Amino acid sequence: MMKRIALPFLFALTLFTLPSIANAQRRSPLADAPAIRKRVELRQTRLEFGAGMGTSVNQTFYHGLTVNVRLGFHLTDWLSISGVGGFGVSSLSTGFRERLIDSLQPANPPNPSDSRAPSPGDANSSLNKTAFFLAGQAELTPFTGKYSMFGKLFAHYDFYVFGGAAAMNFAAANSGGAPACTDTPANDKRCTLTGMQIGGTGGIGFHSFFNDFVALNVELRDIVVKDNPAGRDVDGDMNADKGDLTWTHHVMAMFGLTLYLPSTASISP
Amino acid sequence: MKRSAVCLFVVIAIGGWGAVASAAGSGDKGKAEKAADKGDAAGAVPEEGGPNSGPDIGGELDLSDKEAKNVDAAGMAAVRASTTLSWQDIVVVPRKRFLKGGRFELAPYTGISVNDILVRHYVFGVDLNFFLSNALWIGLQGNYYIKSLTEQESLLGLQYNRIPTLNRYLYSGSLNMGYVPVYGKFALFNKSILHWEIFISGGVGVTQTEIIPRTPGDAVFGNLSLTPNVGIGGRFFLLDWLTINYAVRDYLVIDKFESTNRPRNQSSADAKAQADGAMVHNIMFYVGAGIYLPTKFSYKTPR
Repeated sequence: MMKRIALPFLFALTLFTLPSIANAQRRSPLADAPAIRKRVELRQTRLEFGAGMGTSVNQTFYHGLTVNVRLGFHLTDWLSISGVGGFGVSSLSTGFRERLIDSLQPANPPNPSDSRAPSPGDANSSLNKTAFFLAGQAELTPFTGKYSMFGKLFAHYDFYVFGGAAAMNFAAANSGGAPACTDTPANDKRCTLTGMQIGGTGGIGFHSFFNDFVALNVELRDIVVKDNPAGRDVDGDMNADKGDLTWTHHVMAMFGLTLYLPSTASISP
Repeated sequence: MKRSAVCLFVVIAIGGWGAVASAAGSGDKGKAEKAADKGDAAGAVPEEGGPNSGPDIGGELDLSDKEAKNVDAAGMAAVRASTTLSWQDIVVVPRKRFLKGGRFELAPYTGISVNDILVRHYVFGVDLNFFLSNALWIGLQGNYYIKSLTEQESLLGLQYNRIPTLNRYLYSGSLNMGYVPVYGKFALFNKSILHWEIFISGGVGVTQTEIIPRTPGDAVFGNLSLTPNVGIGGRFFLLDWLTINYAVRDYLVIDKFESTNRPRNQSSADAKAQADGAMVHNIMFYVGAGIYLPTKFSYKTPR
């Protein structure tokens, strides 16, 4: 009698319990999963070639337009090393320079009431401009993803920051006879800084991928080197020489296209 | 045979109970009780947009079934107690991380002017925006400026014997509109996902400016300048009510400047009457935070 009652009871209990066991053993299918599965590895162990244009954005006297090239290798998805070069093709006078030169009196000899001011020719003769720059840098790409434009266009992108060493070469912006800046004070309180200056570079950049191997590249770069764009006295010793060089920011906006090799990107698990 | 069967059932039953008890644990029991309480409080059908309806934060995927309208409270509690995660909870197109429509944004920020090589302005301001939809807003903006003359300004006298004609900004206000054409998300080192958007904005307002007299001691005059502005910026969504904002705005200040022929000791009224007019671009870069009210939002569409 006891067995007859116990057997159905235990059977029912088991039927009730087994689903609970199965349920209890379920766990999130996303546990320990990466943030993105089947991710297109657009950077990892790929070479990057790029070319484009750039312009300075904060220069006092001349904005430089450059043609830029870059070559990089992505060691991982988020770390790469690259070399960048920008070569000046044109320069545009800033509005500040034009207003300043217009305010100077072309009198020779100078007007006695304005004798401390240079003539327009003298002022122009000592200005310099960027001839080219070279940079070697490490790039960190912490942000990668996809975006939608107007809900219609979708594209992969990444943001990166970079830093490294840079060299900038300067040339005289105008002919006019100002001597090159040396350690010896120049005559007439003016000299032109030319040649290579070594410094550092840093900035941020953005890739927007058209497909797996072509991307739009936009970069904001600051190159800090010693410079004296005016070629005139800075330290107040009433002379112009190399002692008047100061660390100067040369901010550039750069745009271009980059190609990635191999042309096909791997897919993550 | 019967004895073996009985023993087998007993073993399975004991093992089953143990497994259930182990899976539930004390923490899950607490959650189950809370879930049951919420279910009781909200009725049989939990309301969309309730306390648990907002998406989770920190970029983690939301795996809890917050819209299980047909699941009764007891069922929800039981399901939650046994961890409700399944493949069915993973959707192909997730909903937007953050909804702004019908909400206010209070956005304090600080910024710096970037395009004037002679005078730099630091700004402290606030935007109060109301979102007509998830992509469109109108808002009011107020700015307070602090000026700082640059090294280049001080060199002008030394190098060229010239003193520049400059104005400073005191404060400004504007009525703006904005639109969000681009939104997206990114993976931070492929570990977590953050959502962001890019906006464009435009508006019109006024700026209170004041001349910086070339001759110290000369009377100053101010000018309330009409100031249209355009901008582009972005937001990073951190919490249901908090974003990090950044923007670049170009303020077109239609201003009046001290005349280059101003005589010494001229009154401010006369100087203003002879002032030279000019339109100046004041491009500023901002960084700030966006605080959204109400702090919660509700999804209106099915998952």
